[in-house]
Amino acid sequence: MSVLTVRHSARALAAACFVGGLSVGCGGGESGPEGDALRVALLTSGPVSDAGWYAGAYEGLLLIEESLGAQVSHQQTRSPAEFDEAFFSYGSSGYDLVFAHGFEYQDAALRAGEEFPGMTIVVSSGGRISENVRSLIFRLEEGSYLAGMMAGGLTRSKVVGMVGGVAIPPAQGTFRAFEAGARVIDPDVEVLEAFIGSWDDVAAAREAAAAQLNRGADVLVHNTDAASFGVFQAVREAHGDEQPVWAIGMNRDQNDVAPDVIAGSAAIDIPRAFLRVASRFIAGDLPSGAFDLSLDEGVVDFIVNPAALHRIPAELLARIDEARTAIREGALEVPRIRFLEGESGTP
Amino acid sequence: MIRRALRARLGSRWIGPLAAGAVALLAAALLAAAGLALAGYEPVAAGRALVSGAFGSWERFASITLVRATPLILTGLAVALAFRAGVWNIGAEGQLYAGAVAAVWVGLAFPGAPAWLLLPGAMAAAAVAGGLWTLVPVGLKFRAGVGEVITTILMNFVAIHTVAWLVHGPLQEARGVFPQTDPVALAARLPRLGSGRLHAGFPVAVVLAGALWWLLRHSAWGFRVRAVGASARAAAVSGRIHTGRVVLGAFLLSGMLAGLAGGVEVAGVTFALYENLSPGYGYTAIAVALLAGLNPVAVLLAAGFFGVLQAGAAAMQRDVGVPAVWVSAIEALVILAVVAADRFLRRGVAGKGGG
Repeated sequence: MSVLTVRHSARALAAACFVGGLSVGCGGGESGPEGDALRVALLTSGPVSDAGWYAGAYEGLLLIEESLGAQVSHQQTRSPAEFDEAFFSYGSSGYDLVFAHGFEYQDAALRAGEEFPGMTIVVSSGGRISENVRSLIFRLEEGSYLAGMMAGGLTRSKVVGMVGGVAIPPAQGTFRAFEAGARVIDPDVEVLEAFIGSWDDVAAAREAAAAQLNRGADVLVHNTDAASFGVFQAVREAHGDEQPVWAIGMNRDQNDVAPDVIAGSAAIDIPRAFLRVASRFIAGDLPSGAFDLSLDEGVVDFIVNPAALHRIPAELLARIDEARTAIREGALEVPRIRFLEGESGTP
Repeated sequence: MIRRALRARLGSRWIGPLAAGAVALLAAALLAAAGLALAGYEPVAAGRALVSGAFGSWERFASITLVRATPLILTGLAVALAFRAGVWNIGAEGQLYAGAVAAVWVGLAFPGAPAWLLLPGAMAAAAVAGGLWTLVPVGLKFRAGVGEVITTILMNFVAIHTVAWLVHGPLQEARGVFPQTDPVALAARLPRLGSGRLHAGFPVAVVLAGALWWLLRHSAWGFRVRAVGASARAAAVSGRIHTGRVVLGAFLLSGMLAGLAGGVEVAGVTFALYENLSPGYGYTAIAVALLAGLNPVAVLLAAGFFGVLQAGAAAMQRDVGVPAVWVSAIEALVILAVVAADRFLRRGVAGKGGG
């Protein structure tokens, strides 16, 4: 076959796609807003099947649809170039409220906020704010502190491990709190820390977890998304009845993901948080700037795995309950890392 | 008389392939619809979302579809040029990242420079960086005879991890909080065309496609590139063509085009350097170049086709709630169907029309 035919038919083919698509495009009308229902969108940069951070956000979106009768939409973006595009799409089709579920959206959110003043963007763990760009900050370190206490009480080897996704302040903050919680129970606990540079690389998380287990850790906590499956898997493989090895879930109640090895989860009730934001948005009293949701509001907590309850000393559970009450009452301040631009104590 | 003969030839050449394209699209649409129906989604609604997402309005077409197509045009040209010269450059992804790093660095390092200097400077730096990124594969090819397929792929990984290191280290934003650079100076950004997101990188890419087409088709250099690509030995035996020099030039220029794609993406779309900056433009570029039959002008259309597909796929997620995994699967299905139908039908066309 000659080169000429190859080239020409391919060119014609692409042309046909263009022309064909265009004519259909002119015929098909755009789906307009249905009445004056609230239009709410969610952007995630990972799959909502991660049984964690993104899954919780998606549940939150569905909860908003169900409870508030909002018209909802979700898009998973794959790269920064798609952030602006997604905001543009939602902004130009008249969405009222967009949840951008992760700090990575913050710059694009600021640009979109300027371009679409009628749209409010809520960036989860965002570090920058403007008139219509808010930051939703989950005080997960409060739950993580209690998780650390659990780890400090469960470890026999006196070594606990932490496997994180990308080394950013919201993730690092949970680890500092975890460390502090573990040392409250046992000041001599050694804490290992690794960041794998990705939120959903299961293989990398498994390797990092296995490395920490090899160094003697017998309780592992993670702060990743879909990569958490790798941590749980490594823990499962190392787990023996004589020498129990534990994992601790994070971001969402993951107790049923690996009920045999998970002691509990430092969880954000993301659906509840989203619903609260949307309700206050409708009521017109969404706080400007940052919106902190903590243990006191019932949005963040440490949830002990019911399936593992019988293997956990009652005394340890009592101490965790005490600390929870102290945090709620403000008697105990959990270490945190501040990352909101302009907030005191930030770089 | 010659003109009339030409017109007749062109006419007969276009009808067959156009029919082929239509059948291919139809097959692709049917396959995608079947897949969607199997997964329990409304194929018609999804199809409508796809079309309106890509073409719904001029603003949407320009702001999403053309913006998506721009890096694919530039990387597609890079791959097409290399393949034409018989150089299997699979490294457009890495070269794109190298260009993005250079453009961001220039855009951050000289905040006070005027736009007429800073913007071209950043673009030139991007192109040069992309070219430099081919030096290791070039050196290994010429000095040690190592195939560039392997080395260019490996250099992609080097680039991606270098970017990850840069945004956590030396190029991290001044606050040192998030893994990204600060946004580049306004003077280092490409101007917007009209009210939407379409930026000046698109017309630049179109002009470059035309220029490359002309060069390959009408210049002596283009003749040498085609000759070497068709048969390096025959070209060498002819005695008039220094094959090594031609291959080297095409390889470098290919890297520069891919590097420019990275620079344009940073200066026109993201304004800062991030990890995962590219959703695999450099790899999609290979499909773009092959679908275009390595013809630079056809690259415009093939890249446009992929832009339509990606813009439409995102809209399927937003408007119909088709999950991202299904969208990716459908994207792949459509590409497969188009390529396969193109192959099958081309046989028939080639048998009839010659060409």
